[in-house]
Amino acid sequence: MRLRTSPAKLLVLVALCLVVLVELRTALAFVGVSLSIGATVAVGVAAIAALLLWAVRPAGSGE
Amino acid sequence: MPNGATFADAYPTQARHIRAAFWASFLSLGVGAFFGLIQALHRTDILRVIESQTYYTVLTAHGVFLVISFTIFFLVGVFQWAVTDSLERPPVDMRFTWGWYGLMSLGASLTAFAILAGFTDSIDVRANVLFTFYAPLQAHPLFYVGLVVFVVGTWLAGADWFRSWLAWKGDNPGERIPLPTFMVLTTMIMWYISSIGVAVAILAFILPWSLELTGSLNPTLTRTLFWYFGHPVVYFWLLPAYLLWYILLPKLAGGRLFSDPLARVVFILFVLLSTPVGIHHQYLDPGISEGFKFIAMTNTMFLLLPSLLTAFTIIASMEHGARQRGGEGYFNWLTALPWRDPAFTGMALAGMVFAFGGFTGIVNAGMNINYLVHNTLWVPGHIHTQVGTAAALTFMAGAYWLVPQLTGNRLVGRGLALVQVVLWFVGIVFMTNSMYRGGLVGIPRRTAEPQYEGFEYEVAAGSVGELNAQLAIGGTILFVSAMLFLALMVLTAFNGGTEPIDDGSIPPALSGPEDSPAVLDNLKLWVAIAAVLVVIAYSFPLASIVSRGGLFGPDIGPIPVAIDAASTVARTALEAVSAVVR
Amino acid sequence: MSNVARQEDPASVERIEHDEFDPVGTLALIAFYFAVLVLLWLFTYFVEFLGNVPTPVVVA
Ligand code: HEM
Ligand SMILES: [Cu+2]
Repeated sequence: MRLRTSPAKLLVLVALCLVVLVELRTALAFVGVSLSIGATVAVGVAAIAALLLWAVRPAGSGE
Repeated sequence: MPNGATFADAYPTQARHIRAAFWASFLSLGVGAFFGLIQALHRTDILRVIESQTYYTVLTAHGVFLVISFTIFFLVGVFQWAVTDSLERPPVDMRFTWGWYGLMSLGASLTAFAILAGFTDSIDVRANVLFTFYAPLQAHPLFYVGLVVFVVGTWLAGADWFRSWLAWKGDNPGERIPLPTFMVLTTMIMWYISSIGVAVAILAFILPWSLELTGSLNPTLTRTLFWYFGHPVVYFWLLPAYLLWYILLPKLAGGRLFSDPLARVVFILFVLLSTPVGIHHQYLDPGISEGFKFIAMTNTMFLLLPSLLTAFTIIASMEHGARQRGGEGYFNWLTALPWRDPAFTGMALAGMVFAFGGFTGIVNAGMNINYLVHNTLWVPGHIHTQVGTAAALTFMAGAYWLVPQLTGNRLVGRGLALVQVVLWFVGIVFMTNSMYRGGLVGIPRRTAEPQYEGFEYEVAAGSVGELNAQLAIGGTILFVSAMLFLALMVLTAFNGGTEPIDDGSIPPALSGPEDSPAVLDNLKLWVAIAAVLVVIAYSFPLASIVSRGGLFGPDIGPIPVAIDAASTVARTALEAVSAVVR
Repeated sequence: MSNVARQEDPASVERIEHDEFDPVGTLALIAFYFAVLVLLWLFTYFVEFLGNVPTPVVVA
């Protein structure tokens, strides 16, 4: 399977996603938007799934 | 060093010595991380394997094993490597080198024994005083003796490196000090200036008092002497990480250090500024006037400068590497960095955590905002982003490159190593985010049971239950990561018959030392200025503390940290307090 | 994919000397960092000064 990026970069990106998620929840609460745990997890799963999909989706027919 | 040869080939004896230092360090990391896990689960009431009374024995061990033993054993190894490699010569006398290692090990063992004996009643030794050992909490004398022996070991290590440098200077008159050696020597100067404080605190006051030679001491004085040392010690943990960032990271990124002179300036600034700031840990201490605290705050803000300079130099060096590897654009060059190399990725992530954790340090340093977070869980949050990641994760990442050079073996499990550093990064963000937020709503640090009857913390988002879960998950991830690291190190040590991937050479800086004024290398000058600054910052506060409380204090007896005799403790404390008040 | 291939190769593809190196990426990153710092300061300001009610005045 060909990835659009290297597995290493993907790993780091997933980690960054988790970090943004944890911190974003705090920041959003500050402006009055409080996400429940369930919602946070859902957003996280969606974001990471999107990232993985992007990575494994064949990079067009070009290249 | 001959091209293509590892450090272990070129200097087999020295490599063995550095490996010994690393093993002492890794052992401490393993034990300390285990205690960390216990704390994370205990405080949050998720799993309590110990009695709450034992919590302070655990916490003392966690603090001492990690920030004294793990960090310092690792850094003396790094420094020995840096000096030997950059001067291209072994120590003048290897027996001396083994000697200081022996002293450090002896000291660490004594202190470790005094702490760990607290777990059993069958030995009448305990030291549940935490790594700050504030009087009138009193530990068994062995605890202090061990610390002193350990510190003397580090002093001799410094002497050893100065000796190597002088020998080198004799053979290379008029040459600039190689940058790695320069960093080691300046760091050690800072260490000498600052560790005097803790040595005086222990040798003149605390140790005689614990031996019952003196009946009393002045707690404000010993605390102030402790923090005189306690801030520079954070740079003692951090500067070896800086050394690795300046020396190794550019190479790992595929580039060269952006500027050698800038690096020298940064280290000199640390020599000058790290010590006259310690009072910023005592904003809430009574008995020190606001004016002195304000001066300490101002000095502290100046200390941001060298760290910002470092951020610039390091990022520019990484960018240089990325561009040489074909990176382009304003942000796209980041993708051209070697993210699959655990040594690189670990250090880059550590630097990132450091940059943002540094902000929480500015919060601590502000006198008024400090009142908001003082002694709350916020502070361990800060500790774990800085020494617990900027230093610890950099050390682990550095080990992925250094240990192969020191053993001549190839790193086992490069992919797993990458997972390990990323796990640490994720774990630390989970744990510290919870600690910061818990601290902001007033959850205290250093307590086994932060839960109170009839009182609710008002958490901004979510609940205390969620914060606890997050802390425990983060702590568990960190523990797993630490164990993975140790496993990979052990496997690498036994991975004989292989060769490291890298040849161990360090490319020269883009802008070398010849572009900088020679005065930068005038170590005597910097020592003199640093000493003057210290005298200015500390003579008045110390004089005022002594004149108010006396050298040996207003009759402060020990508070034995024997928990079973809780009533005795309470009584002694009351007596002590009433003595102070009277 | 050329990009990935380059990644596997630790050796640099070209040599860039001091004078031809213009660290714009560093500038961009640091600008970003400062922007985040400003936000963090704002955050702290609100937590410290606006988020907390004044200390209750206890009248004996
Ligand atoms: C395995 C990962 C770790 C876990 C789970 C962990 C957990 C904790 C927890 C929960 C506390 C707060 C205890 C309290 O205030 O009641 C703490 C304190 C502390 N940790 Fe860690 N930690 C870990 C790694 C580290 C590392 C690597 C370092 C430094 C190199 C470190 C240094 C400290 C220090 C200095 C304190 C403060 C001790 C005191 O208050 O006396 N920890 N740790
Ligand atoms: Cu400090």
